[in-house]
Amino acid sequence: MYYVDLFLNGLIFGSMYALMAIGLTLVYGLLRILHISHAAVYALGAFITVIVANATGSIALGMLVAVVVSAIFGMGVYRVLYQPMLRYPPYVAMIASIGLLIFMEDAFRIIFGEQGLTFTRNPYPTQIHNLFGITINTVQIAMIVLSTICLVALALFTTRTRMGIAWRATVSNPTIATSFGVDAIKVRYLNFMIGSALAALAGGLIALLNNFVEPTMGFVVSYKALAIIVLGGLGSMRGTLIAALALGLVESFGTIWVGSYLDRDALAFLFLIIVLMVRPQGLTGAHA
Amino acid sequence: MLRLENLSCGYGPVVAVEDVSFDLPERSSLALLGPNGAGKTSTIMAIMGHTTIHGGRILFNDQDITRLPPVKRVDLGIALVPEGRRLFTDLTVEENLTVGGYRLSVQRDKINRQRVYDLFPRLSDRRKQTAGSMSGGEQQMLAMGRALMTEPKLLLIDELSLGLMPKMVDLCFDALAALKQDGVTILLVEQNTTRALDFAENVCVMTSGSLAFSGTSKQAKADENLFDVFISAAHE
Repeated sequence: MYYVDLFLNGLIFGSMYALMAIGLTLVYGLLRILHISHAAVYALGAFITVIVANATGSIALGMLVAVVVSAIFGMGVYRVLYQPMLRYPPYVAMIASIGLLIFMEDAFRIIFGEQGLTFTRNPYPTQIHNLFGITINTVQIAMIVLSTICLVALALFTTRTRMGIAWRATVSNPTIATSFGVDAIKVRYLNFMIGSALAALAGGLIALLNNFVEPTMGFVVSYKALAIIVLGGLGSMRGTLIAALALGLVESFGTIWVGSYLDRDALAFLFLIIVLMVRPQGLTGAHA
Repeated sequence: MLRLENLSCGYGPVVAVEDVSFDLPERSSLALLGPNGAGKTSTIMAIMGHTTIHGGRILFNDQDITRLPPVKRVDLGIALVPEGRRLFTDLTVEENLTVGGYRLSVQRDKINRQRVYDLFPRLSDRRKQTAGSMSGGEQQMLAMGRALMTEPKLLLIDELSLGLMPKMVDLCFDALAALKQDGVTILLVEQNTTRALDFAENVCVMTSGSLAFSGTSKQAKADENLFDVFISAAHE
């Protein structure tokens, strides 16, 4: 059952990468901006989860507040940072985005301290269950359940509702979608709202699993999320999901097989380099 | 229904169309002909609101729509089948139609959708297929279907037959004839001159941004000089 455990562990990490990277894919698909500061939204979600949970004693409430506040924050980033820059080439917004990530990291450091924060009461990572011979803790179960719910809901929203279809149409061809009455501005806010909410959820869950949040927690994740959306074929949601799960699995098995030579994070980028050498169009071959 | 008065337009400071006037009565059809670069597409895009206007007016049912945003024109009953179709290629046939009917109620959407499927049974067979994976002819049908979802009174069609197999061209023109029968006013840009003259009762010919001829199709067919316009333009 050792390999089954590893496999499951890889999928669980992959699902967190997916929640994080989908926001990046959504923004890139719509505005062609690499939204680097998305990682700061992820860290913000983690910090808010811990702070609200410690203040109220409810982790569920902490996550809810984190998701709502981060969603609003994400829309704010679009309005304040990106919207005025849309008339310039996309790299201008990207540089501003890197700036915001660094700024937020230092803001977290100043406000919450260098050492980071822990939950005052978080029994869940150490609650181990044995399901059909598989070892899994409560947070990991929550990760599987919540990410599945979110991804299925997102898939249903984008294929079964008029607004979701209009959203995809806007990504496909903004000018024509607008001429059929789709409100492109509303679509952008929706984009940042959903992407940021998912990233905050991932941040909160990772905080719960590690029982720890720190100011720089978004940094490595931001690189990985970039790797994932490139692997997924830039702008493809399905590709992003596949790439995120694949990366989770590669890390999970890689740390066992070559972990004594290579760090977990180094593996991720080795994987990226190899895949892009073989398939420059990304794993699924979707074109952006 | 539609009247252009001394319209000059283009993209940014570039002038593509200069001083063009014509009148399109309700339930009539007009073919806009001319060589490449004559300003046909720019004229159509100006009617839809996608160009910079440098002068003149566009009237729709006596209302000045020269500066109206594209969406408002859709609400008034103007729809566009753009050159190159410009479908939402990774959306399915059904989803493309959904975007077409986005401004209308779900009930109207259902009725219009059925009408589109009746007009193009092929689309009905391919409901779940992505637009990008269909043949050129099927894509053209979908582009027409998407425009019809808006319940247009005036349909603007840019290069209906371009790149299609003759059989598909027949199907598309048959559908257009059916729409004309239903009372839809049609403005057609076409490079297949014979087809266009057979279909539309009125003709305008454009060369290098201006009108070179304006009259009925019968007059156009009888006018031998008209072909010289094309030939001389092709040699420019």
